Amino acid sequence: MTTTLPPLNETDINGMDSALGEFLKQTDATTALVIDKGGFMITHKGDARRFDLTTIAALASGAYMANETIANLVHETKFTSVYQQGENQSMFVNCIDEHCLMVVIFASRLSVGAIKYFAAPTAEKIADQLRSAQERDPEAGFDLSALNVADTESLFRKRA
Amino acid sequence: MAILNAATKEIQLKVVYYGPAMCGKTTNLVQVHKRVQTAPGNKGRLVSLATNSDRTLFFDFLPIEAKTIKGFKTKFQLYTVPGQVIYNATRQLVLRGVDGVVFVADSQYSKMAENVESFQNLEDNLRTVNLNLADIPYVLQYNKRDLDGVAPVEYMEFLLNSREVQVPSFSATAHDCTGVFETLNAISRALLTKFINQGTPQYTA
Repeated sequence: MTTTLPPLNETDINGMDSALGEFLKQTDATTALVIDKGGFMITHKGDARRFDLTTIAALASGAYMANETIANLVHETKFTSVYQQGENQSMFVNCIDEHCLMVVIFASRLSVGAIKYFAAPTAEKIADQLRSAQERDPEAGFDLSALNVADTESLFRKRA
Repeated sequence: MAILNAATKEIQLKVVYYGPAMCGKTTNLVQVHKRVQTAPGNKGRLVSLATNSDRTLFFDFLPIEAKTIKGFKTKFQLYTVPGQVIYNATRQLVLRGVDGVVFVADSQYSKMAENVESFQNLEDNLRTVNLNLADIPYVLQYNKRDLDGVAPVEYMEFLLNSREVQVPSFSATAHDCTGVFETLNAISRALLTKFINQGTPQYTA
Protein backbone atom coordinates (compact mmCIF):
# COMPACT_ATOMS: atom_id res chain seq x y z
CA MET A 1 0.00 0.00 0.00
CA THR A 2 1.36 3.40 -0.90
CA THR A 3 0.77 6.37 1.32
CA THR A 4 1.12 8.89 -1.42
CA LEU A 5 -0.52 9.99 -4.60
CA PRO A 6 1.05 8.95 -7.87
CA PRO A 7 2.40 11.73 -10.12
CA LEU A 8 -0.54 13.00 -12.13
CA ASN A 9 -0.45 13.71 -15.85
CA GLU A 10 -2.83 15.48 -18.20
CA THR A 11 -4.96 12.37 -18.79
CA ASP A 12 -5.52 12.00 -15.05
CA ILE A 13 -6.47 15.63 -14.56
CA ASN A 14 -8.73 15.61 -17.64
CA GLY A 15 -10.43 12.45 -16.39
CA MET A 16 -11.11 13.99 -12.99
CA ASP A 17 -12.23 17.30 -14.53
CA SER A 18 -14.65 15.47 -16.79
CA ALA A 19 -16.19 13.60 -13.83
CA LEU A 20 -16.50 16.83 -11.84
CA GLY A 21 -17.99 18.68 -14.84
CA GLU A 22 -20.64 16.02 -15.29
CA PHE A 23 -21.41 16.15 -11.58
CA LEU A 24 -21.91 19.93 -11.71
CA LYS A 25 -24.30 19.53 -14.64
CA GLN A 26 -26.30 16.87 -12.80
CA THR A 27 -26.60 18.77 -9.54
CA ASP A 28 -26.29 22.45 -10.40
CA ALA A 29 -23.70 22.73 -7.61
CA THR A 30 -21.45 25.80 -7.70
CA THR A 31 -17.96 24.33 -7.40
CA ALA A 32 -16.43 20.89 -6.98
CA LEU A 33 -12.86 20.13 -5.99
CA VAL A 34 -10.65 17.11 -5.66
CA ILE A 35 -8.22 17.59 -2.78
CA ASP A 36 -5.80 15.34 -0.98
CA LYS A 37 -6.17 14.58 2.70
CA GLY A 38 -2.98 16.52 3.43
CA GLY A 39 -4.73 19.72 2.30
CA PHE A 40 -3.57 20.25 -1.30
CA MET A 41 -5.99 21.07 -4.07
CA ILE A 42 -5.58 18.72 -7.02
CA THR A 43 -8.17 20.04 -9.44
CA HIS A 44 -11.49 21.87 -9.50
CA LYS A 45 -14.43 22.70 -11.75
CA GLY A 46 -17.05 25.40 -11.53
CA ASP A 47 -16.91 28.88 -10.08
CA ALA A 48 -13.44 29.55 -8.74
CA ARG A 49 -13.57 33.33 -8.66
CA ARG A 50 -15.82 33.74 -5.65
CA PHE A 51 -13.91 31.42 -3.35
CA ASP A 52 -10.36 31.04 -2.06
CA LEU A 53 -10.11 27.39 -3.09
CA THR A 54 -6.55 26.86 -1.82
CA THR A 55 -7.59 27.80 1.69
CA ILE A 56 -10.88 25.91 1.43
CA ALA A 57 -8.91 22.78 0.46
CA ALA A 58 -6.64 23.10 3.51
CA LEU A 59 -9.51 23.73 5.91
CA ALA A 60 -11.86 21.13 4.44
CA SER A 61 -9.23 18.42 4.70
CA GLY A 62 -8.51 19.47 8.29
CA ALA A 63 -12.21 19.38 9.14
CA TYR A 64 -12.69 16.00 7.48
CA MET A 65 -9.63 14.51 9.19
CA ALA A 66 -10.78 15.86 12.55
CA ASN A 67 -14.14 14.19 11.97
CA GLU A 68 -12.41 10.95 11.07
CA THR A 69 -10.62 11.06 14.42
CA ILE A 70 -13.94 11.73 16.16
CA ALA A 71 -15.38 8.71 14.32
CA ASN A 72 -12.69 6.54 15.86
CA LEU A 73 -13.54 7.91 19.29
CA VAL A 74 -17.15 6.81 18.88
CA HIS A 75 -16.01 3.41 17.62
CA GLU A 76 -16.73 4.05 13.95
CA THR A 77 -14.10 3.20 11.38
CA LYS A 78 -14.73 6.50 9.67
CA PHE A 79 -17.40 9.01 8.73
CA THR A 80 -17.40 8.81 4.94
CA SER A 81 -18.76 12.30 4.44
CA VAL A 82 -19.17 15.63 6.18
CA TYR A 83 -22.00 18.06 5.47
CA GLN A 84 -21.98 21.71 6.54
CA GLN A 85 -25.23 23.54 6.09
CA GLY A 86 -25.23 27.31 5.60
CA GLU A 87 -27.89 29.90 4.91
CA ASN A 88 -26.79 30.57 1.34
CA GLN A 89 -23.98 28.14 0.61
CA SER A 90 -23.43 24.65 1.93
CA MET A 91 -20.53 22.28 1.67
CA PHE A 92 -20.33 18.53 1.32
CA VAL A 93 -17.09 16.58 1.66
CA ASN A 94 -16.99 13.01 0.47
CA CYS A 95 -14.20 10.45 0.75
CA ILE A 96 -12.81 9.30 -2.63
CA ASP A 97 -10.10 6.90 -1.51
CA GLU A 98 -7.36 6.62 1.10
CA HIS A 99 -5.67 9.78 -0.22
CA CYS A 100 -8.32 12.05 -1.65
CA LEU A 101 -11.55 13.86 -0.91
CA MET A 102 -14.19 15.49 -3.05
CA VAL A 103 -15.46 18.86 -1.85
CA VAL A 104 -18.71 20.32 -3.19
CA ILE A 105 -19.87 23.89 -2.63
CA PHE A 106 -23.51 24.33 -3.49
CA ALA A 107 -26.42 26.71 -2.96
CA SER A 108 -28.29 25.77 0.21
CA ARG A 109 -31.62 25.75 -1.67
CA LEU A 110 -30.40 22.61 -3.52
CA SER A 111 -31.21 19.23 -2.11
CA VAL A 112 -28.33 17.70 -0.20
CA GLY A 113 -29.83 14.31 -1.04
CA ALA A 114 -29.21 14.91 -4.74
CA ILE A 115 -25.67 16.11 -4.03
CA LYS A 116 -24.97 12.94 -2.05
CA TYR A 117 -26.65 10.74 -4.66
CA PHE A 118 -24.58 12.04 -7.57
CA ALA A 119 -21.39 12.50 -5.54
CA ALA A 120 -21.04 8.77 -4.90
CA PRO A 121 -20.60 7.66 -8.56
CA THR A 122 -18.47 10.74 -9.27
CA ALA A 123 -16.13 9.81 -6.43
CA GLU A 124 -15.97 6.29 -7.87
CA LYS A 125 -14.94 7.60 -11.30
CA ILE A 126 -12.25 9.77 -9.74
CA ALA A 127 -11.02 6.85 -7.65
CA ASP A 128 -10.77 4.77 -10.85
CA GLN A 129 -8.73 7.50 -12.49
CA LEU A 130 -6.38 7.68 -9.51
CA ARG A 131 -6.11 3.90 -9.48
CA SER A 132 -5.11 3.83 -13.12
CA ALA A 133 -2.51 6.55 -12.44
CA GLN A 134 -1.12 4.39 -9.66
CA GLU A 135 -1.12 1.27 -11.82
CA ARG A 136 0.50 3.02 -14.79
CA ASP A 137 3.85 2.56 -13.13
CA PRO A 138 3.93 2.96 -9.38
CA GLU A 139 7.69 3.43 -9.41
CA ALA A 140 7.82 5.91 -12.29
CA GLY A 141 8.65 9.53 -11.70
CA PHE A 142 8.90 12.50 -13.97
CA ASP A 143 12.24 13.58 -15.27
CA LEU A 144 12.87 16.68 -13.23
CA SER A 145 16.55 16.87 -13.99
CA ALA A 146 15.95 20.08 -15.93
CA LEU A 147 15.14 21.74 -12.63
CA ASN A 148 18.34 23.05 -11.18
CA VAL A 149 18.56 23.27 -7.42
CA ALA A 150 21.30 25.87 -7.81
CA ASP A 151 18.54 28.15 -9.09
CA THR A 152 16.79 27.86 -5.77
CA GLU A 153 19.39 29.71 -3.71
CA SER A 154 16.82 32.24 -2.51
CA LEU A 155 13.36 31.02 -3.20
CA PHE A 156 11.86 33.59 -0.88
CA ARG A 157 13.14 37.13 -0.43
CA LYS A 158 12.37 39.51 2.36
CA ARG A 159 11.06 42.95 1.49
CA ALA A 160 13.47 45.70 2.48
CA MET B 1 3.06 14.19 0.53
CA ALA B 2 4.16 16.40 -2.30
CA ILE B 3 1.85 16.71 -5.24
CA LEU B 4 3.36 16.74 -8.68
CA ASN B 5 0.93 17.86 -11.33
CA ALA B 6 2.52 17.52 -14.73
CA ALA B 7 -0.62 18.79 -16.45
CA THR B 8 -0.37 22.21 -14.80
CA LYS B 9 3.40 21.97 -14.21
CA GLU B 10 3.04 22.49 -10.49
CA ILE B 11 4.82 21.08 -7.49
CA GLN B 12 3.04 21.49 -4.16
CA LEU B 13 4.93 20.93 -0.95
CA LYS B 14 3.83 21.00 2.68
CA VAL B 15 6.05 22.41 5.42
CA VAL B 16 5.05 22.17 9.08
CA TYR B 17 6.48 24.43 11.78
CA TYR B 18 6.66 22.32 14.94
CA GLY B 19 7.82 23.11 18.47
CA PRO B 20 6.75 23.68 22.06
CA ALA B 21 4.04 26.12 23.11
CA MET B 22 4.83 29.81 22.67
CA CYS B 23 8.13 29.19 20.89
CA GLY B 24 7.27 31.44 17.93
CA LYS B 25 5.85 29.16 15.24
CA THR B 26 2.94 31.44 14.41
CA THR B 27 5.24 34.48 14.56
CA ASN B 28 7.37 32.89 11.82
CA LEU B 29 4.34 32.64 9.52
CA VAL B 30 3.15 36.13 10.39
CA GLN B 31 6.57 37.53 9.43
CA VAL B 32 6.73 35.56 6.19
CA HIS B 33 3.26 36.76 5.30
CA LYS B 34 4.11 40.36 6.15
CA ARG B 35 7.51 40.61 4.53
CA VAL B 36 7.81 38.21 1.65
CA GLN B 37 8.43 39.67 -1.80
CA THR B 38 6.06 37.99 -4.21
CA ALA B 39 4.40 38.63 -7.49
CA PRO B 40 0.78 39.72 -7.15
CA GLY B 41 -1.43 36.75 -6.39
CA ASN B 42 1.41 34.48 -5.29
CA LYS B 43 0.74 34.91 -1.60
CA GLY B 44 -2.45 33.58 -0.06
CA ARG B 45 -4.09 34.75 3.09
CA LEU B 46 -2.75 33.72 6.47
CA VAL B 47 -5.45 31.69 8.17
CA SER B 48 -5.22 31.17 11.91
CA LEU B 49 -7.49 28.84 13.77
CA ALA B 50 -6.79 30.21 17.22
CA THR B 51 -8.40 30.42 20.65
CA ASN B 52 -9.72 33.67 22.12
CA SER B 53 -6.32 34.25 23.65
CA ASP B 54 -4.59 33.88 20.27
CA ARG B 55 -3.12 30.47 21.04
CA THR B 56 -3.18 28.17 18.03
CA LEU B 57 -6.09 25.77 18.35
CA PHE B 58 -5.84 23.73 15.15
CA PHE B 59 -3.25 25.23 12.82
CA ASP B 60 -2.10 28.36 11.01
CA PHE B 61 -1.94 28.09 7.26
CA LEU B 62 -0.13 30.18 4.66
CA PRO B 63 -0.03 29.19 0.99
CA ILE B 64 2.79 30.84 -0.89
CA GLU B 65 4.21 30.44 -4.37
CA ALA B 66 7.95 30.64 -4.95
CA LYS B 67 9.52 31.65 -8.21
CA THR B 68 8.98 29.38 -11.18
CA ILE B 69 11.89 27.03 -11.78
CA LYS B 70 12.29 25.97 -15.40
CA GLY B 71 8.59 26.28 -16.04
CA PHE B 72 7.50 24.48 -12.86
CA LYS B 73 5.48 26.49 -10.38
CA THR B 74 6.62 25.63 -6.86
CA LYS B 75 3.87 26.13 -4.32
CA PHE B 76 4.54 25.81 -0.62
CA GLN B 77 1.91 25.40 2.04
CA LEU B 78 3.19 26.46 5.45
CA TYR B 79 1.42 25.11 8.53
CA THR B 80 1.99 25.43 12.24
CA VAL B 81 0.82 23.00 14.88
CA PRO B 82 -0.61 23.93 18.27
CA GLY B 83 2.23 23.69 20.76
CA GLN B 84 0.22 23.01 23.89
CA VAL B 85 0.56 19.44 25.11
CA ILE B 86 -3.19 18.78 25.19
CA TYR B 87 -3.55 19.24 21.42
CA ASN B 88 -1.58 16.17 20.40
CA ALA B 89 -4.37 14.68 18.27
CA THR B 90 -4.45 17.91 16.29
CA ARG B 91 -0.70 17.85 15.75
CA GLN B 92 -0.98 14.37 14.30
CA LEU B 93 -3.64 15.57 11.84
CA VAL B 94 -1.53 18.49 10.66
CA LEU B 95 1.46 16.21 10.08
CA ARG B 96 -0.47 14.15 7.55
CA GLY B 97 1.22 14.50 4.16
CA VAL B 98 4.07 16.63 5.51
CA ASP B 99 7.09 17.01 3.23
CA GLY B 100 9.41 19.02 5.46
CA VAL B 101 9.58 20.25 9.05
CA VAL B 102 10.93 23.38 10.70
CA PHE B 103 11.46 22.64 14.38
CA VAL B 104 11.29 25.92 16.28
CA ALA B 105 13.00 25.74 19.66
CA ASP B 106 12.72 28.33 22.41
CA SER B 107 16.23 29.44 23.36
CA GLN B 108 15.47 30.24 27.01
CA TYR B 109 17.19 27.92 29.45
CA SER B 110 13.91 27.36 31.24
CA LYS B 111 12.39 25.93 28.05
CA MET B 112 15.01 23.29 27.26
CA ALA B 113 13.03 20.41 28.72
CA GLU B 114 9.97 21.46 26.69
CA ASN B 115 12.10 21.65 23.53
CA VAL B 116 13.38 18.14 24.01
CA GLU B 117 9.93 16.82 24.88
CA SER B 118 8.41 18.47 21.80
CA PHE B 119 11.16 17.07 19.54
CA GLN B 120 10.48 13.61 20.91
CA ASN B 121 6.77 14.20 20.37
CA LEU B 122 7.48 15.15 16.74
CA GLU B 123 9.23 11.84 16.16
CA ASP B 124 6.42 9.92 17.83
CA ASN B 125 3.71 11.71 15.88
CA LEU B 126 5.50 11.25 12.56
CA ARG B 127 5.45 7.52 13.21
CA THR B 128 1.66 7.67 13.57
CA VAL B 129 1.46 8.90 9.97
CA ASN B 130 3.99 6.31 8.74
CA LEU B 131 6.90 8.72 8.49
CA ASN B 132 10.33 8.72 10.00
CA LEU B 133 12.16 11.91 10.86
CA ALA B 134 15.33 10.49 9.36
CA ASP B 135 13.60 10.30 5.97
CA ILE B 136 12.21 13.78 5.70
CA PRO B 137 14.05 17.07 5.39
CA TYR B 138 14.00 19.23 8.50
CA VAL B 139 15.82 22.23 9.87
CA LEU B 140 16.12 23.70 13.34
CA GLN B 141 15.49 27.26 14.38
CA TYR B 142 16.71 28.53 17.75
CA ASN B 143 14.30 31.36 18.37
CA LYS B 144 14.13 34.20 20.91
CA ARG B 145 17.86 34.85 20.81
CA ASP B 146 17.21 38.46 21.88
CA LEU B 147 15.99 37.48 25.34
CA ASP B 148 18.05 37.36 28.52
CA GLY B 149 18.83 33.92 29.89
CA VAL B 150 19.17 32.07 26.62
CA ALA B 151 21.18 28.89 26.29
CA PRO B 152 24.30 28.94 24.10
CA VAL B 153 23.71 27.71 20.55
CA GLU B 154 26.30 24.97 21.13
CA TYR B 155 24.24 23.61 24.01
CA MET B 156 21.08 23.62 21.91
CA GLU B 157 22.96 21.88 19.13
CA PHE B 158 24.02 19.24 21.64
CA LEU B 159 20.44 18.75 22.80
CA LEU B 160 18.62 18.82 19.46
CA ASN B 161 21.14 18.34 16.68
CA SER B 162 23.54 15.65 17.78
CA ARG B 163 22.25 12.84 15.61
CA GLU B 164 24.29 10.96 13.09
CA VAL B 165 23.35 13.45 10.39
CA GLN B 166 23.32 17.06 11.54
CA VAL B 167 20.76 19.34 9.95
CA PRO B 168 21.02 23.08 9.26
CA SER B 169 20.18 25.24 12.26
CA PHE B 170 19.48 28.96 12.49
CA SER B 171 19.47 31.50 15.28
CA ALA B 172 16.41 33.67 15.09
CA THR B 173 14.41 36.45 16.63
CA ALA B 174 11.18 35.83 14.82
CA HIS B 175 9.30 38.88 16.06
CA ASP B 176 11.71 41.16 14.17
CA CYS B 177 12.11 38.64 11.31
CA THR B 178 15.75 37.81 12.04
CA GLY B 179 16.46 34.29 10.80
CA VAL B 180 12.92 33.71 9.54
CA PHE B 181 13.68 33.79 5.82
CA GLU B 182 17.00 31.99 6.25
CA THR B 183 15.08 29.13 7.88
CA LEU B 184 12.35 29.10 5.25
CA ASN B 185 14.82 29.15 2.36
CA ALA B 186 16.84 26.32 3.92
CA ILE B 187 13.86 23.99 4.28
CA SER B 188 12.57 24.92 0.81
CA ARG B 189 15.95 24.16 -0.76
CA ALA B 190 16.26 20.90 1.14
CA LEU B 191 12.80 19.85 0.00
CA LEU B 192 13.36 20.69 -3.64
CA THR B 193 16.75 18.98 -3.64
CA LYS B 194 15.19 15.82 -2.30
CA PHE B 195 12.21 16.05 -4.61
CA ILE B 196 14.24 16.69 -7.74
CA ASN B 197 16.71 13.92 -6.96
CA GLN B 198 13.89 11.46 -6.43
CA GLY B 199 11.76 12.68 -9.31
CA THR B 200 8.64 11.65 -7.46
CA PRO B 201 7.41 11.45 -3.89
CA GLN B 202 8.65 8.24 -2.38
CA TYR B 203 6.93 7.87 0.96
CA THR B 204 5.67 4.33 1.21
CA ALA B 205 4.31 2.38 4.06
